[in-house]
Amino acid sequence: MLALIQALADGVMIGGVYAVISIGLTLVFGVMGIVNFAQAEFLMLGMFAAWFLWAYVGLDPLLAAPIAFVLVGGLGMLTQELLLRRVMHAPPVAQIFLTVGLLIVLENGALLVFGSDYRSVSTPYQAQALKLGPIFVSVPYLLAFVASAISGLALWFFLRASPYGRAMRATAQDPMAARLSGIDADAMRRLAFGLGVGLTAFGGAVILPYLTVSPTVGGQFVVLMFTVVVIGGLGSIAGAVVGGLFVGIVQSLSGLVFPIQLQNLVLFCVFIAVLALRPEGLLGARR
Amino acid sequence: MTRPTKLAAAALALLAALCLPLGLDHQGYAIRVATLVFLFGAMAQSWNVVGGLANQMSLGHAAFFGIGAYTSTLLLIHAGLSPWLGMLAGGVLGGLAAALISLPTMRLSGHYFALATLAFGEVMRVVANSWAGLTGGPVGLSVPFAPDSLALFNFKSTVPHYYIALAALCLVTAIFVWIRNSALGYRLRAVRENVDAAEVVGVDTARTKLVAAVISGVLMAMTGTLYAQLNFFFDPDTVFGAAPISIRVALIAIVGGVGTAIGPIVGALVIIPLEEAANLFLSSQVAGLSGFAYGLILIAVILVQPHGLAAIGRRFQRKSKGAS
Amino acid sequence: MTAPPILSLKGVSKRFGGLQALGDVTFDVRRGEILGLIGPNGAGKTTLFSALVGLHRIDAGSVALDGREIARMAPHRVAALGLTKTFQNVALFGEASVLDNVLIGGLLRRDVAGARAFAAECLARVGLSAIAEKRAGDLSFPERARVEVARALATEPKVLLLDEVMAALNHAETAEIVALFRQLQADGLTLVVVEHHMKTVMSLCDRIVALSFGRLLAEGTPAEIARHPDVVAAYLGREYVG
Repeated sequence: MLALIQALADGVMIGGVYAVISIGLTLVFGVMGIVNFAQAEFLMLGMFAAWFLWAYVGLDPLLAAPIAFVLVGGLGMLTQELLLRRVMHAPPVAQIFLTVGLLIVLENGALLVFGSDYRSVSTPYQAQALKLGPIFVSVPYLLAFVASAISGLALWFFLRASPYGRAMRATAQDPMAARLSGIDADAMRRLAFGLGVGLTAFGGAVILPYLTVSPTVGGQFVVLMFTVVVIGGLGSIAGAVVGGLFVGIVQSLSGLVFPIQLQNLVLFCVFIAVLALRPEGLLGARR
Repeated sequence: MTRPTKLAAAALALLAALCLPLGLDHQGYAIRVATLVFLFGAMAQSWNVVGGLANQMSLGHAAFFGIGAYTSTLLLIHAGLSPWLGMLAGGVLGGLAAALISLPTMRLSGHYFALATLAFGEVMRVVANSWAGLTGGPVGLSVPFAPDSLALFNFKSTVPHYYIALAALCLVTAIFVWIRNSALGYRLRAVRENVDAAEVVGVDTARTKLVAAVISGVLMAMTGTLYAQLNFFFDPDTVFGAAPISIRVALIAIVGGVGTAIGPIVGALVIIPLEEAANLFLSSQVAGLSGFAYGLILIAVILVQPHGLAAIGRRFQRKSKGAS
Repeated sequence: MTAPPILSLKGVSKRFGGLQALGDVTFDVRRGEILGLIGPNGAGKTTLFSALVGLHRIDAGSVALDGREIARMAPHRVAALGLTKTFQNVALFGEASVLDNVLIGGLLRRDVAGARAFAAECLARVGLSAIAEKRAGDLSFPERARVEVARALATEPKVLLLDEVMAALNHAETAEIVALFRQLQADGLTLVVVEHHMKTVMSLCDRIVALSFGRLLAEGTPAEIARHPDVVAAYLGREYVG
């Protein structure tokens, strides 16, 4: 029983981070209608940014996360402007394989520049845990969760309260109407892509204290992110939060029973089942 | 090109391919690359049945490929069954797997279909890695050593593999052309363009997609056996891998020209030697350089020529026609 | 004894979310007639066509084609039984040639060679033989609407639902289509047509059914419909003057 509660608590902590990572993906899909297969590579870039800031500036990854957000977000806007903008009206095959190409370029580019070593950071709180009643809460998990929650709330506030955010939501809901009311769709897409990959990079930075980074780390997250987003409904931000928590808990609970490899199998099967039965997501309304 | 000139060009190319090994070292690197070109051409052509004719962008064809490789090899190891027969068994299982994934995903299109098939391929990879009792797990499988024998599909020289791969490419291409000109091909075209309209004028769109998926799965699985016999060794991450198989075959077809018979052949002729050259010259320099170049080329092709290299040929023809 | 209706609708209803698109629609289509379906925009005419051929699954009611229940059947099975429609917004296979578009309809009852020959016949019937090899996506709207008709004819329907084939046609073209419809009727087909041009509808159709907000408003001969107070009130009065 205790193990179950412990696993639930861990699942919520991990799931919170999954949520923020995946909000980036769902935001990109919502505004641009493109599934970005390279999204996990931006997570990898965020992790590397945080690692270098830790190694050379001595910055804690949690404090480096906002910088990673800005750096990778800027790279994202550049990517949108130079590459993705050109296939916005192309058939899906061009969109899919452009982002697949981007995935290959980013992963191998990282391999070129950073080498294939696994890198990790050491922080004072790395091995600490809080005792909350009968369960332990790992401090790096908790901090990552809190940072994710803050960034999630900040995004929510941005989308609700700022004119940019409102324009972006309008574009996601009805691109045609948004254009007619004078919203620059290109600018919105640039912003959405930058914001989306920036958030994913932010998530990458905050998990660095308990994970190692290498150029191929994206591969561990790619299907996971898609599962989160598909469960919540592609394009839905609230859905990504619920999906993230759900996946975190499923992963953590199945960890009690299955070896790590099969945990992923459970996720894949959930993923295919949701896509097949309710492509609009478990939470999404049928259109 | 008119039909007779096309046929003449194809016959000429085939003749050249048949004679090529005469000029190459039978154990050498060049003939191996040529064999891979044909093999991957055949794989991409199998993919083309679903990806090109039905326009369903599968990113999970490694699932069928791996099933084929494992089925024939396991039957060979445990039952001593000739890989030729194992290839048929693999084809049957590959077709069943294709039906299994096609039924729940056929209503999906575009990005959703790509995602679902990608996940399916990954499921197969994870299963093959975990179910070590059957597959040997991450260590991989070796095809047992045997003396040269056509009946047992075992050759030390690459030349027989070269001709078998060439025959496979010709066969799969012939099947592709036959499907395209058959009732199934017309129905697939209708499904690709407008599912509702196709249904209303009497096309059973679900059955049409299912049949195409199964044919594609069967063919892809059979190429898996050819790969296993050529390489003597494989592991789950190679034959079930998204990057080495699923994305690669789709990419070959796309670079060459999706939905055309010549596309996968052109794509394989360009991509495979390019990869080999990149591996040869670049990977000894720095890790990642060949992959980096590969990704850049992919992006460039999609931005510059989204309809594939085959479209360049067509455009050139149209121009010369206009000039005359 | 009158002959049994070839198409019989009873209590056909369909909701989209909170919107009642079709409510309890009941009427018969008689064998061999040209039936007009009229109603203001949003009355549910196109939705009704889509529901009849099986593209929308109806929530309640029944549809019988030649005495056989077809509601909740897949569209291709409905087509095989002899009911098909054209698309109001034109849904051709744009990358394929005109002939191949029609050929695909012909495949329902023939092999490829047979379907090709029959497709050529169908194109001749609608007067499009000259453009058989053109790419469907390159056609003008009036041409495309005719290809829609030819493709539907290639399935050899008993009942053909024609959704605004005459939209955007000039006088001469409209007259040609009217002549075509009459010829199809003479060949034994039953037609249900949706058109906006009231004069044409009144002169072409044997009977008319009027819909409003998804409900049956009136049913009768053109003369009866023109006099029907509800129809006049709903919208005829504005457009149909003389």
